[in-house]
Amino acid sequence: MADEVSFEFLHTELVSYVLSSTEKDKKPCDLSTLEYIGFSAGYRIIERQTKEWPRFKDELETMKFICTDFWTSINKKPVDNLRTNHQGVYVLQDNAFRFLTRLSNSRQYLEVAPRYVAFTCGLIRGALANLGINSMVTAEVQSMPACRFHIQVQRT
Amino acid sequence: MVTVHNLYIFDRYGTLLYYAEWNRLKQSGITRDEEAKLMYGMLFSLKSFVGKISPLDTKEGFLYYKTSKYALHFYETPSGLKFILNTDVNAQNVRELLQQIYSQIYVEYIVKNPVCNLKEPIKSELFKSKLDTFIKQYNPLK
Repeated sequence: MADEVSFEFLHTELVSYVLSSTEKDKKPCDLSTLEYIGFSAGYRIIERQTKEWPRFKDELETMKFICTDFWTSINKKPVDNLRTNHQGVYVLQDNAFRFLTRLSNSRQYLEVAPRYVAFTCGLIRGALANLGINSMVTAEVQSMPACRFHIQVQRT
Repeated sequence: MVTVHNLYIFDRYGTLLYYAEWNRLKQSGITRDEEAKLMYGMLFSLKSFVGKISPLDTKEGFLYYKTSKYALHFYETPSGLKFILNTDVNAQNVRELLQQIYSQIYVEYIVKNPVCNLKEPIKSELFKSKLDTFIKQYNPLK
């Protein structure tokens, strides 16, 4: 699909632009801008995606929506595994995360993997925020192209 | 069944981006760098010669040459990338094979790879392993 590829190239350029502009003055590799861009995008995307859906029964239902419909509409595939401790911690596992599948199949280039998942961390956080769930999202890449997103729900 | 001996990939400035061999029984006796320069220079001259001497309008120009032992196939993309493949004498449809290497392996794993600089030699292991798998399916099993 032509549009899938353009988003991937755009994401690549976004990462290199953000990193080159922050490298000049601040400390190297500041990914918070990328995460914030993802947050704003996710916040708005979710509004559009759930406009026809009824309110979610509970947090778990919301997470399941993120793993299936939301992930499929953005990455063309659902999340492969969702785990939770039922106390506000969720782990989403994607065995072939789209921005990592072309990077490597092993441990090569592992040190640059964080910059390609920062945007998506923000995306998840933004989507959840607009659904009423405040959270902290981090990502863990052990062996490419699999990636795990850790969501910690913040209950006030 | 095609026996693939080796593959060279050059960019449009003549830089050798990648070299791999699967079945090379005789070495050329010169260093890799010299061999690459020789290969590039020769192909440049061949392409130009073929165009000049052609009695008709050239469509694709130089495609391949054959000796009694091997054939050298050449494929150039619109972006100036040159793929050179040495195969056995009876290979069929090699041009298609080269086009597939370009579109399914180079474009997928190098162009779409955010860390790969297209002007530098290829270092991605993913590219290497995908290429190996692709070529091995054509090489007859020993």
